[in-house]
Amino acid sequence: MTATITTITLTVRTTMSDASLYRLLAWMSPSFPVGAYTYSHGLEWAVEEGTVTDAATLKAWVSDVLRYGSGRSDAILLARAFEAFSAGDLHACREIAELSAALQPSKERHLEASAQGAAFVTALEAAWPTGDAEAAERLAALKQADGPARISTWTYCIAVGIHCAAQEVDLAQAVSAYLHAFAANLVSAAVRSVPLGQSDGQRVIAGLEATIADVAAEALAAPLDDVGSACFLADISSQLHETQYTRLFRS
Amino acid sequence: MQNKTPNRSANPPMLAPSPPDDIACGALQRARGKAHVAFAAPSGGETARLVDLYQSGCAKIRLPKARGERQAVLLNTAGGIAGGDRLDYSATWGAGARAVVTSQAAERIYRSLGPAGEVANRLVVEDDAHAVWLPQETIVFNEARLERRLEADLSGSARLLAVEAVVLGRAAMGESVERLGFRDRWRVRRDGRLVFADDTRLCGDARAILSGPACGGGATAFATIVEVGEGVEARLDAARAILVARRADGLSCGASAWGGLLVVRLLSTDARVLRDVIMGFLQDWRGTDLPRVWHC
Repeated sequence: MTATITTITLTVRTTMSDASLYRLLAWMSPSFPVGAYTYSHGLEWAVEEGTVTDAATLKAWVSDVLRYGSGRSDAILLARAFEAFSAGDLHACREIAELSAALQPSKERHLEASAQGAAFVTALEAAWPTGDAEAAERLAALKQADGPARISTWTYCIAVGIHCAAQEVDLAQAVSAYLHAFAANLVSAAVRSVPLGQSDGQRVIAGLEATIADVAAEALAAPLDDVGSACFLADISSQLHETQYTRLFRS
Repeated sequence: MQNKTPNRSANPPMLAPSPPDDIACGALQRARGKAHVAFAAPSGGETARLVDLYQSGCAKIRLPKARGERQAVLLNTAGGIAGGDRLDYSATWGAGARAVVTSQAAERIYRSLGPAGEVANRLVVEDDAHAVWLPQETIVFNEARLERRLEADLSGSARLLAVEAVVLGRAAMGESVERLGFRDRWRVRRDGRLVFADDTRLCGDARAILSGPACGGGATAFATIVEVGEGVEARLDAARAILVARRADGLSCGASAWGGLLVVRLLSTDARVLRDVIMGFLQDWRGTDLPRVWHC
């Protein structure tokens, strides 16, 4: 009898985990229509002025942003929004979303966060309806015009966190997948703008594995109060990118 | 009152061994200070008139007679902030008031082996008022711990210009800040809605973190200037032109504007360069000289 129950539990867990992985692979894929490839987070300026010139300098730049900047902060915001949604605390969802939108240091970073967030919400609405009636009701409340919990600006990390919670995606996996997608997108931007070879790009992504694991673990445990950045140069890069003469990216 | 300021840098109390518990912490005589100033719409030729003033503990406010804008000058008579100290400053700009709040001198954050020092700044800016928050720079020493908050609540068409600058150690004395717990939190709301938030978090080996290419590129001083007000985007080109004109070695800076916000970030390897650029920027941006305390 006991053995039978154990088997059932394992089966259910495997199914859940498979669905979670499948959804994350789809949503965090470079082909998911959020336009990630059009944003460089200010990296294009760091390339232009000679800060990022090769695989080593790229890894250092991306690692800073992951550990001390928006990578870490957005991972914390994602995780806390996920939990607030799961707990049915829509007021907290709205407050975390408002904080995330207000934390942007430049016009282009604001665009990068809000345009990808809005596109993520639209793509999920179009193709990935949630099967959970309660979650669907909560999502509707967050989107209801003039509603008390309405999120007026969906940043990318908040859109991912809340929809992952609504669709039974595992939080720890979601944080890792988000950070990986963020880092891989920056590496891809550098491969195109430096330019770098594909192997160099892959070496950087491979070399950031431990950093992403560290930041993901930190973000899962950190309270909302722990958001914060020391990436002043990344912020300045995104500000200076606005007047960069030749540019491939929108940020 | 400032003549009797005890000089903490000459005899820093927090160099004592780490306190074993909270009871012992109490014996270290942590500094407490609370000060409030309120301005209202002008009468006569002034830009604002004083309507409220409160001060207790080591937090004081001076009201120098100055031509032009009304000024309030914050002063911490404890001569700096050590672990466990707590300072609360608040200022209110009533409807239509225009005034500058600044500080008497650079604030110093001393080494703490225990709790962080705390500073809470609260600004209330009513409709059509123009608030200028220009404290001088904060100097953080090795092993300092500070939690600072700036909460600004704006109403209607209120405007706010705010600055915070932070310097790591005294470079002239070869001081390197290798252990730090520094957090500075800004929250600016208009009619209850959060319109700007900024969280600086520099915890750990500050020198190593700021040597990173996306963090500080070796800088030891950083600053943020924010203006919140309708239509400020129209002056972005002017802000950029001022920054370009003030170019200096070891200085990195940029400006951006969107949605009624202008954000300027500055970084420097030299604290004096940073101060000079901030002063020059503010003078050009505002078209008026800085309060006299900045020139002392």
